[in-house]
Amino acid sequence: MSLLAPIICDNGTGYSKVGFAGNSDPSYVFPTAIATRGPASQPTRGGPPIPAKPGNLASKRGVEDLDFFIGDEALANAKTPGYGVHYPIRHGMIDNWDHMERYWEQTIFKYLRAEPEDHYFLLTEPPLNPPENREQTAEIFFESFNIKGLYIAVQAVLALAASWTSNKVTDRTLTGTVIDSGDGVTHVIPCAEGYVIGSAIKHIPIAGRDISQFVLNLMRERGEMANVPPEDQLRVAGKVKENYSYVCQDIVKEFRKYDADPYQYFQRYDGEHSVTGRKYSVDVGYERFLAPEIFFNPEIFSSDFLTPLPEIVDDTIQASPIDVRRGLYKNIVLSGGSTMFQHFGQRLKRDLKQLVDRRIEASVVASGSMQKSSGVEVDVISHKRQRYAVWFGGSLLASLPDFYTSCHTKAQYDEIGPSICRRYQIFGSAT
Amino acid sequence: MILLEAHNVIIQTTLNDKLIKPSSLDVQFVDFDGVRFRMSTADRKTVILLSMHIRCWDELVKYGAMDVLQREYGNLIVSQPEAEYNVSLSIDLEQAPADQEARDAFVRSISMFKRNALAAPFESAFAQQKQLESSGQIGELMAIHYRDEEAIYVQASPDRVTVIFSTVFREETDRIFGKVFLQEFVDARRQPSIQNAPQVLYSSRDPPLEIRDVPGLRNTEDIGYVTFVLFPRHFANPTIVANTISHIQLFRDYLHYHIKCSKAYMHSRMRHRVAEFQKVLNRAKTEVAVTERKTVTGRTMVHR
Amino acid sequence: MSNVLRQYLSAVRSTLTAALTLEDFSSQVVERHNKPEIEVQGSKEVLLNPLIVSRNENERVLIEPSVNSLRMSIRIKQADEIERILCHKFTRFMMQRAESFVVLRRKPVPGYDISFLITNVHSETMLKHKIVDFIIQFMEDVDREISEMKLSLNARARIVAESYLLAFNA
Repeated sequence: MSLLAPIICDNGTGYSKVGFAGNSDPSYVFPTAIATRGPASQPTRGGPPIPAKPGNLASKRGVEDLDFFIGDEALANAKTPGYGVHYPIRHGMIDNWDHMERYWEQTIFKYLRAEPEDHYFLLTEPPLNPPENREQTAEIFFESFNIKGLYIAVQAVLALAASWTSNKVTDRTLTGTVIDSGDGVTHVIPCAEGYVIGSAIKHIPIAGRDISQFVLNLMRERGEMANVPPEDQLRVAGKVKENYSYVCQDIVKEFRKYDADPYQYFQRYDGEHSVTGRKYSVDVGYERFLAPEIFFNPEIFSSDFLTPLPEIVDDTIQASPIDVRRGLYKNIVLSGGSTMFQHFGQRLKRDLKQLVDRRIEASVVASGSMQKSSGVEVDVISHKRQRYAVWFGGSLLASLPDFYTSCHTKAQYDEIGPSICRRYQIFGSAT
Repeated sequence: MILLEAHNVIIQTTLNDKLIKPSSLDVQFVDFDGVRFRMSTADRKTVILLSMHIRCWDELVKYGAMDVLQREYGNLIVSQPEAEYNVSLSIDLEQAPADQEARDAFVRSISMFKRNALAAPFESAFAQQKQLESSGQIGELMAIHYRDEEAIYVQASPDRVTVIFSTVFREETDRIFGKVFLQEFVDARRQPSIQNAPQVLYSSRDPPLEIRDVPGLRNTEDIGYVTFVLFPRHFANPTIVANTISHIQLFRDYLHYHIKCSKAYMHSRMRHRVAEFQKVLNRAKTEVAVTERKTVTGRTMVHR
Repeated sequence: MSNVLRQYLSAVRSTLTAALTLEDFSSQVVERHNKPEIEVQGSKEVLLNPLIVSRNENERVLIEPSVNSLRMSIRIKQADEIERILCHKFTRFMMQRAESFVVLRRKPVPGYDISFLITNVHSETMLKHKIVDFIIQFMEDVDREISEMKLSLNARARIVAESYLLAFNA
């Protein structure tokens, strides 16, 4: 049988992206949620249901563990009595292995309709994932599913690989800084030649969910939300964020522009009540440019976290080994839905460049103008595949011929055991 | 989910999406048993080309797959299939039925592409059986090598149609689990509610009588043969025929799916049990009093 | 618990308790080394006589004491192919997590299914009788767990076969 396309599974905290290598988009994007029988508040370490007595079979008891839904169906069934929804991944790491194993089981057999024995798999893991988690993952995939081969890649590295599609990228390098902003949290991750510099990783507690909330607050303050039904408000805010927002270069100028000619800049959003079907519409104004602004001026949203994103990126790179810093400044890659705002890359580049130049200037002055720096190149890469960058990077790497030789095969697993997954091979970069 | 579905979910969801909002598309995906699909748009966004590659296509054509597909899809079939694929459908989204119900049926029928192609040998066997009823002869043995090492054999006789699956288990655990499952398939008919189901026979190593003369059969420990005996009541009318075919095609996938599910279940049991043992062992550990240790300058030493 | 099993377990319990008299003992072969003597087998005089407690030909326990460490290996009952594979899966699964089971050995002694290695460090930091409790509890539960797994496998197989065949009636 000719080799079938490898399967790429990117299981994130909020959403799972799954599909086949070689495609440009995942075949499925659905919530990493599983609805099982039993209350939702079941302790995560609870035992499996006790099997039925063999005499009592007509009533289908004994296979309760097959009675579950995943993804969108899980959320749809959340209100069905008897079912509870669980999220097996917390903070990017797998929390409940029982649920996750069954989640994968249904992903493969119901949605992908693939015989796992015939496929190679590429899975993703967050940075700083403990090696034990990799071993457990390998145990599930090789023992339960008998897959042909497995490669576990770090999400940030895949995001770097995804940026190779951008025409700004000339050499396929795996050195760079990844800004990965999803729904829950934003990470800034420096990578050197395919390896994550763990000690320098920084997190920002601002991500998609916070932006939606901020948009909602702004619109409520202006009174726009008055004619939107309460249960729809957050959804409307999310839509406004996705469809109308952009990053401006200067807030003050932008405010003035809006005030001078509101008709040109204010836009209308038309919605429909999800239950009654009643139509409503709202004006979308300043939130268009204020929403993504919380990355650059976090004080407008929260009082706990005040460091702007460019400063965090600068700190991250400064915390990395000195010999890779140039590479890290030169190749800053965006990944995840919350980096999709228009002009996000340009603004980040400008602010970061200012920070860097200021520091260089200071050191020139400190040296008594004796030494001149040749300057540091700062570049932020935006590309079309940003939203599912991690998945796309996986798809790209798994279609390279190197992929098969870098995978751990079933035979190797049987020979050595799950510990083979502690080691992994970087491949695909042209350098 | 106990039973597997006959249709392909990717085809279904993609078509449904594109019917609402056409856009350019190029995806490749698979179905069970190494079937490959490609869905793409060429010049116009509203015309989707769906191509399929099946390993045993030549055999299927021999047993009349083209006729079945012609009947199901009519002029959707493209005369010259896309390169590297066996058969292509050209789906014009603008021609799709407007009525929601008809539209769903249309999408569903396309998502059964693989199922319909594989249905041919079964349909022809059912037809043969009707003819043989009077003559009393035994029909041709149709072999479908749908996987590298495994095949389906279909044969019509005057009073029945025999379907034989050869199964190979690559792994020891699968082989043993598989044996348990197959034994239950054989025994299940004793239940009164299942009396009407086809009779199932299972033999490991030795091929059943019907295919004993087929050349090239392997004779190793890991191979087994599952025979389904379908009686005329299993293909009495078109609805039953359709149901029987969709169902029997997926036998191997069904079996392997459940072997995997059982292993997953065993894993969760073991996880639970190991956690219990862990608790027992932890009881043995004595509490070590943690005292704060300080250096001369007053800094605390932390154990990491 | 049947009477035979109780006797077997109590024999194991008393043997184990008696054997668990371990003390700190530096290597006589390499300076400044302190290794479990039962594993290195470096000096004969610190090894004690190994002992087998056997219930029948399929179930037995091997206890190998030494001055600073004790190795205990269990052969678990396996009546047929299914029990054999389940037992293998279970012990493998557990040994995979040996890190958290401090007294568990990552590999069984040849001829046995699972082995424990208890050193003087363990007997000093943990309560001795509780370690013994753990091992006895393990021996008790593992048999039950394997036969339960076998039952549930059979039950599942039956349901799966029935649901498949029932669908032909529809």
